[in-house]
Amino acid sequence: MSLFGPNELIEDVINKNLCIGCGACIELCPYFRSYKGRTAMLFPCTKEEGRCYAFCPKIEVDLDRLSEFFFQAPYSGAPLGRYRSIHTAKAGPKADAGDFQAGGTVSALIGFALRKGYFDAAVLTDKEGILPVPRIITDPADVSRCSTSKYTSAPTLSALNQAVRQGYKHIGVVGTPCQVLAVAQMRMNPTAEPDFSDPIALTLGLFCTWSVYYRAFEPFIAARVDISRVIKVDIPPPPAEVMEIYTAEEKIEIGLDEIRELVPDTCSYCIDMTSEFADISVGVLEGRTDMNTLIVRTERGQKIVDEAVAEGFLVLEDMPGENLEHLQWAAGNKKKRAFAKAREEGMINGAEGTRSYLRVDPATVSDCIA
Amino acid sequence: MTGNALPKDPYNVIITGVGGQGNVLASRILANMLVRKGYAVTIGETFGASQRGGSVMSHLRVSRQGSWSPQIPKGKADVVVALEPTEAVRVLADYGNPDIMIVSNTRPVHSVGVIAGDLEYPPLEQTKKKAEELSARAWFIDATDEALKLGHPILGNVIMLGALAGMSPLPLDMEDFKAVMLTSLSADKLDINVRAFTLGRELVSH
Amino acid sequence: MSELFDGKEGTQHLLMGNEAIARGALEAGVRVAAGYPGTPSSEIIESLARVADKANMYVEWSVNEKVAMEVAAAGSFAELRSLTAMKQNGVNVASDFLLHLAGSGTRGGMVLVPCEDPGALSSINEGESRYFARMMELPLLEPGDFQEVKDMVKWAFELSEELRMLVVLRSVTRLSHASGMVTYGPLPPREATARFRHEGFVLDPQEGVLISAPVGYKHELQQGKIRKAREMFENSPFNTYTGPEKPEVLIITSSACTLYSKEAVHLLGLKDRVGILKLGTTWPLPVNLLTRYLSLTDTIFIVEEVIPFMEENIKVIAAERAAEIGIKKFYGKNDGTLPMVGELNPDFVIGALCKILNIEYKARPDEYTQAAQNIPFTGEAPHRELTFCPGCPHRASFWSIHNALELDGRKGFVCGDIGCYAMAMLPTGFSVVKTVHAMGSGSGIASGFGKLGQFHFDQPIVAVCGDSTFFHTAIPALINARHHKADFTLVILDNSGTAMTGFQPHPGLDVNALGDTVPSIDIADVCRSMGARVEVRDPFDLEETRKVLNELMEDEEGLKVLILRQICTLSPEKKAGKKYEMSINEEICIGENCGCNRLCTRIFRCPGLVWDTERQVTKLDEVICIGCGVCADICPAGAIQRKEAGIS
Repeated sequence: MSLFGPNELIEDVINKNLCIGCGACIELCPYFRSYKGRTAMLFPCTKEEGRCYAFCPKIEVDLDRLSEFFFQAPYSGAPLGRYRSIHTAKAGPKADAGDFQAGGTVSALIGFALRKGYFDAAVLTDKEGILPVPRIITDPADVSRCSTSKYTSAPTLSALNQAVRQGYKHIGVVGTPCQVLAVAQMRMNPTAEPDFSDPIALTLGLFCTWSVYYRAFEPFIAARVDISRVIKVDIPPPPAEVMEIYTAEEKIEIGLDEIRELVPDTCSYCIDMTSEFADISVGVLEGRTDMNTLIVRTERGQKIVDEAVAEGFLVLEDMPGENLEHLQWAAGNKKKRAFAKAREEGMINGAEGTRSYLRVDPATVSDCIA
Repeated sequence: MTGNALPKDPYNVIITGVGGQGNVLASRILANMLVRKGYAVTIGETFGASQRGGSVMSHLRVSRQGSWSPQIPKGKADVVVALEPTEAVRVLADYGNPDIMIVSNTRPVHSVGVIAGDLEYPPLEQTKKKAEELSARAWFIDATDEALKLGHPILGNVIMLGALAGMSPLPLDMEDFKAVMLTSLSADKLDINVRAFTLGRELVSH
Repeated sequence: MSELFDGKEGTQHLLMGNEAIARGALEAGVRVAAGYPGTPSSEIIESLARVADKANMYVEWSVNEKVAMEVAAAGSFAELRSLTAMKQNGVNVASDFLLHLAGSGTRGGMVLVPCEDPGALSSINEGESRYFARMMELPLLEPGDFQEVKDMVKWAFELSEELRMLVVLRSVTRLSHASGMVTYGPLPPREATARFRHEGFVLDPQEGVLISAPVGYKHELQQGKIRKAREMFENSPFNTYTGPEKPEVLIITSSACTLYSKEAVHLLGLKDRVGILKLGTTWPLPVNLLTRYLSLTDTIFIVEEVIPFMEENIKVIAAERAAEIGIKKFYGKNDGTLPMVGELNPDFVIGALCKILNIEYKARPDEYTQAAQNIPFTGEAPHRELTFCPGCPHRASFWSIHNALELDGRKGFVCGDIGCYAMAMLPTGFSVVKTVHAMGSGSGIASGFGKLGQFHFDQPIVAVCGDSTFFHTAIPALINARHHKADFTLVILDNSGTAMTGFQPHPGLDVNALGDTVPSIDIADVCRSMGARVEVRDPFDLEETRKVLNELMEDEEGLKVLILRQICTLSPEKKAGKKYEMSINEEICIGENCGCNRLCTRIFRCPGLVWDTERQVTKLDEVICIGCGVCADICPAGAIQRKEAGIS
């Protein structure tokens, strides 16, 4: 992994439309800002090395190094990444009720960790209308307002950078795979800050196959419904193939094929469907609207899940074999397509001193594509 | 008409500085002091946009023979009063000559290029050296610092005029200074200006 | 200067050219003076306004130059002497009325003083009005030194009354904004009576109607007046010759170039070889006088600024009289002896004379020139780029405009206008301004851009204009935009005065040029009455300004107006005291490190902040800082701190 600065970030990520707007470069300095889902650089910066570049999940990501750091083993290339256990899960009886998507697992875990003091703050994604808005949450009662999925990319990590600056030391972060990747890089202290201590108490990763830019989504929805009346947007688990837009009076269904037209190109380079560098990953469970899939990847993830179960905040069940198989098939497919595309475009393992999208053992890439 | 003979006719003075330093007012005071001595003075000044942070110059032509060009011909300045040190040196590129005399304030005003880090501001020693090398004699005085001690930075310009009175052959005396100041100043403020003018004269006396 | 009015007849005073113009007008008994501020003309009206009461005058800063000329014309129609003064560009604005006025004729003496800016020292062009005099068939006078400035202004009124037509007296920066010695003449009595006579025979010049029709009749009348002016100019004392009886070279010059020519001849010691014919009357040219002097030699050198107006017209005379005076060799602009652009100075004339006469001149030893000439390029004297003043509201406004455009991300841009804020095409305004033309043109151009949607034009458009510019010519453009549903956002940078030219009042203020309390016109009300969405903010509230701008840019419902109200730093009110005491906590200044990289000094660039290279922190220059407090909101670390200052 080589270090570069804001100018390379502009050149490699923003100008090549690889930026998904995760917020990792926001709130570090006054130069990068996010507005309605788009990351903008306000003024030129002359730094040759910067955290903006080092944290970015879309450039110079060294998968083996990350994997060694978090799992003490190189990047496996397995469809679901490295993990300890996999379950189906839902919020337990002690968890706060809320308007959850699926089983409410994420809200239950975050609420639990805040209540127990494992987190001094949680970085979540709230929304204003249909615009996702990053939030620093410290009161467990506020967790539920950030529940439900957002299908547009959000600069959530700007709130993480803000929380770090405000001095929070045990932060729980909920993010998409790209955001989780950025958080993993942050935790490695890539710019070797002198007094660094890892401020992340837990990374809770979401499953994601794509997201849409807000700036494409907003006019698309506005053409179909008065945005100010929208109260919820949902995509029920497969095999359903629709997005549901709820207003107080009605439910509008939009075919996913129409939505996919809006998906930015950058998502097609993403090799990670299940947030492989999270402590815990959570997603939908195919065919069930009342349960989530839950992947436990690290020891500290395991610890918090075990305690949450023990204290009645979370209920686990075994993952049915066919669900696991299908999840692996889907995640493997995404990984395969993305690796193939990136390799074909020369974006993997460029010569030392040049910039690459990904760095990883070439054999792993070949295995994934095969 | 009374007054001393000048070494040259027209005798050419440049007051230079940065927009906002009070250059125009200083040139007016100086010119009116000379008018009181019976000279015909022509002044050329830069106004307008260049006042916003740019270099600003006043050209004074002091003569017994009426109006001259408001722009001094190249290489023909006789004395330079610089309200800012690098401006003293800048003037020499166009108007300097081996016989020129310079009196300069030492207080820098950084240009935006310097503030932004695109340009470097030269150390005062370097500026002094260049000014000495390209003049018959150069005086550098801490006019702004002295003015701050007197209570207001704008008095720096009066100190500079006092210094000019001390180092140049121009007939600039206290009586004329007072008379000119009183046309635009209330009497209670005269005293501090007189002190500044006297101080300027003393600063070049050694 | 009360001296302008109170100075005794026969006493000598050091006057700025514009003050000399004002004194000349006072000696002529001018009663009405109107103008619009513009460098280098503003001090004429200002000086007159200051003594208006004593002199029994009406003086106003009009809403624009066309109206100023109309106001002054009314004075003339009522048999008073009147003057209108403006920057050259103002003549362009007033030119439509000027053509009609030339046709209708005048009654009381009326003088137009356009002040031109060769070299564009304070302008964004170096336009000329001399061709207006020719095109509109009006007499044109050009004084050549300060005494003449005063004397010719006085004469211009007499000439105007004799001809019953407007007289143009052209000044330039190096006269208007230079100073020299002027001996005063007497002032006329204070009393005057205004009366517009209109009941006589329609064609009667003193008692009929004032109109440029019947055109054939009036036009012929006008040309007759111009012929009469030509005859008068043949013997004008303002056309003078200095030099030998048989010069080798005849310089023909006018205006400030007279002084340059005189200086060049003096420095080169050529007074026995070169003669100078100085023309004070440059349109119509005195043909017989010129014929006489052209006969003196075959080598003619014409010195003028900017375009070759005299040169081309004198060549016509030389051609017409060739049989009589022989073939001449002309030096000037057309042959490249003098530059076709920029202002002249003694050195240009010296260089040209050396070339024409094949002589050498050295202003100073070569060694000195070698050592000195590169000073501006060697870091000895770092370049001074223009910048907004410390504490200028425009810096804050453009910071927010810039950030709003960048966040918006659709390659939006700003249509600029005329005022200090035109500097926003430079880094001091974060280079957001991409077009600057005439007064009010920013709004007009934006109105045009705002109609390009059908061609897939999707860039957001922001126009800016100052409060004075708004009244001057932006209003018709806004009405146009609103009526045609052009989509753009106008940001009105309202700093409560005509700041660039010295803070003259305008219709948005409750005071006029004379200091009287007058009704003010509210900019927001005007815009709302057009049906525009109007927001008013304080530009020092950076984030709020940015936010509302983004919102307005996204509101695609036609004309939106954001008024950013904060008084100019140079206003007397602001100069009175600092709002905040500023300080810098060096402990928390991030400096060049990741997380700031000197945002305040590298990007924001207020002259009140200085980067200390050695200690790697930002310092405050307390002599320059005016305590606006804005930089505290720029600093990402909170190192720049403000606390309310007790305003004394």
